[in-house]
Amino acid sequence: MDVPTGDLTSSDAIDLADSFGALSDLVGGMLDSVSPSLIRELNHEIRDRLRRSPIRVNSYGYDPWGYNPDVARRTLLLFALLYRYYFRVRTTGLEHLPKGRLLVIPNHAGQIALDAAMISVATVLEADPPRPLRGMGEYWLPTLPFFNVFMARVGGVVGTPKNARDILEHGEAVIAFPEGVRGMNKTFAERYQLQEFGYGFMRLALETQTPIVPVAVVGSEEQAISIANVQPLADLLGMPAFPVLLNYFPLPVRYHIAFGKPMEFRGNANDEDEVIGKKVEQVKDRIHDMIQAGLRRRSSWFW
Amino acid sequence: MERLLITGIAGGQGRLVAKRLSDQFAVSGVDRAPWEGHPDYITVHTMDLRKKKFEDIFRRERPSAVVHLAFVRHFRADPMVRHEINVVGTKRLLECCAAYGVKRLVVLSSSYVYGALPESPYYMDEDTTLNVSRHYPDIRDLAEVDTLCSTFLWKYPEIATAILRPVPTLGYYVHSAIGAYLKLRWVPTIMGFNPMVQFIHEEDLAEAIGRTIELGLRGIFNVTGPGAVPLKVAIRETGGTAVPLLEPIARTAIDGLFRLGLYHLPPGALDFVKYPCTIDGRRFREATQFQPLFTLEEIFGSVRH
Repeated sequence: MDVPTGDLTSSDAIDLADSFGALSDLVGGMLDSVSPSLIRELNHEIRDRLRRSPIRVNSYGYDPWGYNPDVARRTLLLFALLYRYYFRVRTTGLEHLPKGRLLVIPNHAGQIALDAAMISVATVLEADPPRPLRGMGEYWLPTLPFFNVFMARVGGVVGTPKNARDILEHGEAVIAFPEGVRGMNKTFAERYQLQEFGYGFMRLALETQTPIVPVAVVGSEEQAISIANVQPLADLLGMPAFPVLLNYFPLPVRYHIAFGKPMEFRGNANDEDEVIGKKVEQVKDRIHDMIQAGLRRRSSWFW
Repeated sequence: MERLLITGIAGGQGRLVAKRLSDQFAVSGVDRAPWEGHPDYITVHTMDLRKKKFEDIFRRERPSAVVHLAFVRHFRADPMVRHEINVVGTKRLLECCAAYGVKRLVVLSSSYVYGALPESPYYMDEDTTLNVSRHYPDIRDLAEVDTLCSTFLWKYPEIATAILRPVPTLGYYVHSAIGAYLKLRWVPTIMGFNPMVQFIHEEDLAEAIGRTIELGLRGIFNVTGPGAVPLKVAIRETGGTAVPLLEPIARTAIDGLFRLGLYHLPPGALDFVKYPCTIDGRRFREATQFQPLFTLEEIFGSVRH
């Protein structure tokens, strides 16, 4: 099976019209005129790395869940620029990534999920072999026009138990944030305090015998300073949270992403919450320790 | 030689199955429409399943195997007639199978019975509920038929009943709703949606049905082909041009055109071009070692206009 070369073919012209890939293409095009060689080289680098990833696509360039390396590359290009030149990410521990299926479990912060994007860029640009991460989306995301197509093309799927099992059994690398919006929308005063973890990821790991890779992200928690969360307003608007921010544009903090050694758990996926909870705590403790180590090492938010 | 009875034998799929199994079985068939120029080693009864004389075929020929393909899947007929043929016809057939000692029965359901819902898993297995009636009540009779046959499967353990739920079928002989849709020059789609769609070639489906009969398989099986592509890739590969319409406009327009008889599908069908209805075919492949021969390229080539 061939991975398409990544030049704009008629196949992704269809998809670009239908996804936000067009947007990142536009940004890429604008930057191209300012600094053509940098963009071109980065583009080639991402293309080569995606080609070396274990994800196989059919002759039309799609995997069974609708992932398409051309759209993924265009999206990654935009985030890779942020990764290298805005957040200047320092990533460690990628040598720990196991072969085959795995679950990446990070802390979650920053009001918008740039942490997810930065971790995804790291596993493509710096892991060997490159591992594009598959995200698990909410059940209602497929109802959003355009976004649903974009989500599938960059490797996302709806987080139903069957999808999660299938995609792991297919040998993919899946990213999940057990804190969910509780982590992402916490206030500045609560930074680096891990919120309650959901148990779903642990049941999934036990069921499919998938190694868990704990990840600590330092930096993301200062990118957007939230002084309060107006929950009644959020409920009124049907949003998960309504943060009041000092800055609505993320600060150029430096990200430090640490990938930990994989943790393997054995046991019954259908054990009661108490048993599962103890295993979840082990993962949470590990991430906590990695965050604290990262905080001790860094000298300032921006450096 | 054992006798095989095929209902709906004059349809594209019926003809292919008849040819596939005519080496091992004495094949006869029933259809409302005649099969002009059928091979003389095949007996064809031009008859309606709902007629009293249908039972005579069982009395006289005593088939040991039955392949049930006689379904109305289009909307040109009166909905009452459609429901009667699909549901009442199937019920009659099942009664005959039980009464006249049929040993093997294959019913051709379809993946459509699961429905296309945003929250459905990508690769639905056979235990998924049949949700099609939620947004597409026009074809709920097909879900009823499927359920009717599942009940039969459990009620008569001595009969090897297999319910096959294949993905959309394309090919030269078979006339399917998706085939008619893809053959349009300008193909209406919903703006901002482009779900993955699976396909199987009609010859591969005939092979799958043939193998099911040969093995005397019992159970419910999804049948999948070589893979999935986004809908718009399928439209392009079959020579059409996708026309993305805003959803409210698409629904109103198609509702109006369908009522006037100017479009072949009711608005409920739009969910199938909005959300995926993709299925997991592992159970069937493990049970039969079935591998589709036709690639996606060949499948699209067979309906290109």
